[in-house]
Amino acid sequence: MNPPSSHSQNALLAAVFSLCIPGAGQLYLRKRERGIGILVGALALAYLINWALANFQMEAIALWLWLVFALFWLWNVFDAYRLARGQTTYDRLGLLLAIVVIYAIGWQVTDINPDRLITRFKDVQVVFKALVYPDLFTQEGGSWRPSENFGDIIGKVVDRPAPDWLVQLGLAQKGALVPTPVLGKMAETVAIGLMATFLAIIFAIPLSFFAAHNIMSRVPGGTVIYYAMRTFLNVVRSVDTIIWGLIIVVWVGLGSFAGTLALTIHSIAALGKLYSEEVEHIDPGPIEAITATGANLLQVIRYAVIPQIVPPFLAYTLLRWDINMRMATVVGFVAGGGIGFFVVETIRKGGYEQYAAALWAVAIVIILVDYVSAKWRARILAGEVKVSAEAPKPFYASLRGLFWLVLGLAVFALCWQLSEIDLRKLLEPSPTFVKVVRDFVAIDLSPETFDTVLKQMLVTIFQALLATTLGGLAAVPFSFLAARNLMGGSALTLVVYYVARSVLNVLRSIEALLYVAIFVFWVGIGPFAGMLALAITTFALIGKLFSEAIENIDPGPTEAIAATGATGLQTIIYAILPQIIPPFVSYLIYQWDINIRIATIVGFAGGGGVGLLLNTYFSMLQYHKAGTVVAMIVVVVAAMDFASAKIRERMV
Amino acid sequence: MLKVENLTKVYPNGTVALRDVSFEVEDGEFLAVIGLSGSGKSTLMRCINRLIEPTSGRIIWDGTDLTALSPAEMRKMRRQIGMVFQQFNLVKRSSVMTNVLAGRLGYVSPYQSLFNYFSSADHARALKNLERLGLQDKAYVRADSLSGGQQQRVGIARALMQEPKLILADEPVASLDPVLSHSILKYLEQMNKEDGITVLCSLHFLDLVHRYSTRAIGLKEGKIVFQGLPQEIDDTQFKTIFGQEAERVTIL
Ligand SMILES: Nc1ncnc2c1ncn2[C@@H]1O[C@H](COP(=O)(O)OP(=O)(O)O)[C@@H](O)[C@H]1O
Ligand SMILES: [Mg+2]
Repeated sequence: MNPPSSHSQNALLAAVFSLCIPGAGQLYLRKRERGIGILVGALALAYLINWALANFQMEAIALWLWLVFALFWLWNVFDAYRLARGQTTYDRLGLLLAIVVIYAIGWQVTDINPDRLITRFKDVQVVFKALVYPDLFTQEGGSWRPSENFGDIIGKVVDRPAPDWLVQLGLAQKGALVPTPVLGKMAETVAIGLMATFLAIIFAIPLSFFAAHNIMSRVPGGTVIYYAMRTFLNVVRSVDTIIWGLIIVVWVGLGSFAGTLALTIHSIAALGKLYSEEVEHIDPGPIEAITATGANLLQVIRYAVIPQIVPPFLAYTLLRWDINMRMATVVGFVAGGGIGFFVVETIRKGGYEQYAAALWAVAIVIILVDYVSAKWRARILAGEVKVSAEAPKPFYASLRGLFWLVLGLAVFALCWQLSEIDLRKLLEPSPTFVKVVRDFVAIDLSPETFDTVLKQMLVTIFQALLATTLGGLAAVPFSFLAARNLMGGSALTLVVYYVARSVLNVLRSIEALLYVAIFVFWVGIGPFAGMLALAITTFALIGKLFSEAIENIDPGPTEAIAATGATGLQTIIYAILPQIIPPFVSYLIYQWDINIRIATIVGFAGGGGVGLLLNTYFSMLQYHKAGTVVAMIVVVVAAMDFASAKIRERMV
Repeated sequence: MLKVENLTKVYPNGTVALRDVSFEVEDGEFLAVIGLSGSGKSTLMRCINRLIEPTSGRIIWDGTDLTALSPAEMRKMRRQIGMVFQQFNLVKRSSVMTNVLAGRLGYVSPYQSLFNYFSSADHARALKNLERLGLQDKAYVRADSLSGGQQQRVGIARALMQEPKLILADEPVASLDPVLSHSILKYLEQMNKEDGITVLCSLHFLDLVHRYSTRAIGLKEGKIVFQGLPQEIDDTQFKTIFGQEAERVTIL
């Protein structure tokens, strides 16, 4: 390429190039990244417009879409021209045009109909009323007592024939009715979450050593095992718990056991990865020092390795327990068992009162779990050591220790029973299982199936994008109300702060899948309902993260701007916004990534998208097509993970 | 008596860290090992208790060839050889007491020690050693809540729990302030003089060598380039060990 002889001639050439092929002029001017970005952007926009027009009823705006696209093309020509002349370019204009196209398509594709929010409000009013007065207690003859629904959700006492052991102890007649406590669906949910966490720890600990580089590099052939184990954990982890639930159901049948297994499998992979990273970070110094005292291998592990890994392992496990409890509330949608299954059943029967009560039960339990888990984690990481002056007695010798041991065993036995663990089922899968697995692995890649799956996948991605946008926009003003440093001024603002925080905490405690039903009542089944449910959880999560980002801002600049005599609003614009915009954008991108994962499953509750397709294929026993969907989800989620990590990396 | 004969260590990546090193240490000596970083001091110390396997050569300790011992026999032998580290190498999240008691691991029943059980005699011994190092009131705090100098004293207490005849101290004061350096070295000197423990100690500063050691060896690129009394290290010797550009510095 010759060096440009004159500016204007060169600029004209660049503009002509860009007119023929978007980005070509920029490439000619040796702006490689810009040129490729524009080319890829133009191709993607054209494809999307074409795809949307072919698949959805949107003739009304077809012309407009192509018009904006033409403007984008013109902008690219103009951009090349100005670039060549060394003039300032209008990057934001191009970005804006692209965004207009994307959101317009997203709006249509996810079937957004804001008017329904108003016209159908009376349909959802009953649900809101039930939420305000949850069906947990009834008034009977002047006294309040737990309603029947309370019994289903939390537990109740019913008369049952006396169990054998009572009869043998002589405490009851054979066949006599005795009051027996029967635990409800929420107790079952708690049991599933606990049991899955427990089982996951047992498997994740040994696996994590095989996935730790510092350990495996010492074993002959260990590096191969290390890479195999790492890959295995990453693949298992990238498949969502809900998807594992679908696969497991085929194996062991619907029920709590399937839900527990699905949670366990995903947790093993997630914990295994975190544990192995912790093992890789242990300090070799103490190992050397303990070895030098003449200790044997077991003693070295006991005194130099375990003290280093137990606290972080515990902290990660508590975090995982929190996640598992949340997932346990929804795994029932596909696998059966727990409150999720209860919600599916009640919605099918139109029982919005039970549904509303279930939401409250979930919120209370999850808020409690969240609190306990955070509290314990903080304590572990602060790391108080308790050492007594005397040689410690073995733990079972003290009364307290004995108490905890018995309690722990009792809880374990109860959880085992509630989560319906039945290892025989693992060995005797349903007779069709082998065929199903074979179908599932031999995924259907015929063009029709692929097109259908791709279409719903794109809907899912748009759902996530719009939900992130909507939730994020709502969260921005709200997060200021939930920031203590801004609201701590007077008693009144402090009250607002507490209310805002509580709203975020309650909303955050319920999974998107559980919200979908509200919006199904409201706007009907479809991607719009799923998008709104996602927007609620996005609002809660982002609101919390934003308000924490605001709380963490450096007070220095605020003070300096305020000292100039600026008003409150000016202080926000000049001192606070510049500090919080980068973390906000980074959180939003991360949230979009998370939302795509969740959007793949909202279809199970009537939220549309690729989850609906998956559910349909499974119920029609078309496992090879279901395999296509799962493969697509895994690929898209992995790609998004990678892209979002890369973008966030570049931003900081 | 410790006798090192023709010790050579080649790391798997081909680095020759020690070349044909031979020297003797009489019982009760305080031998300083000096040399630039990378000269092989740490490798030498770790070859003596076989934390690192020597490539060739022999290490004779009280008439026993350590290089010929089986791993189990070597573990028994390590009880007589305490070690003190530059980075202290304490288990940070464990209590000071547990760290000190760990020095007894070579003596106690492996089964009991797995449950953190140590006899009351061991507990008493640990408290006595902590008292000796001025840390009796720190026995039950977390190790990482101590200052660097205090952590190193815990490291020495742990070594003392082994009732060692030899202490290998690998740059015990290199991570500490000059003032603290003296305090730590004084403790080592005390162990050497009062308990008759032989000390092998690598040091950076010539001042410290003059003040505490009875004899010194100088290492350069894995070879012994000096053996003799600390006072014999004159300017020429100094430049042979540390190179032409090196300057003497004084610490306190
Ligand atoms: N594990 C290892 N693998 C390869 N080379 C090493 C290893 N440890 C040390 N070395 C090399 O051996 C030489 C001596 O190191 P070292 O004994 O640590 O010296 P010093 O303690 O005097 O600083 C250095 O060149 C160092 O880079
Ligand atoms: Mg060293």
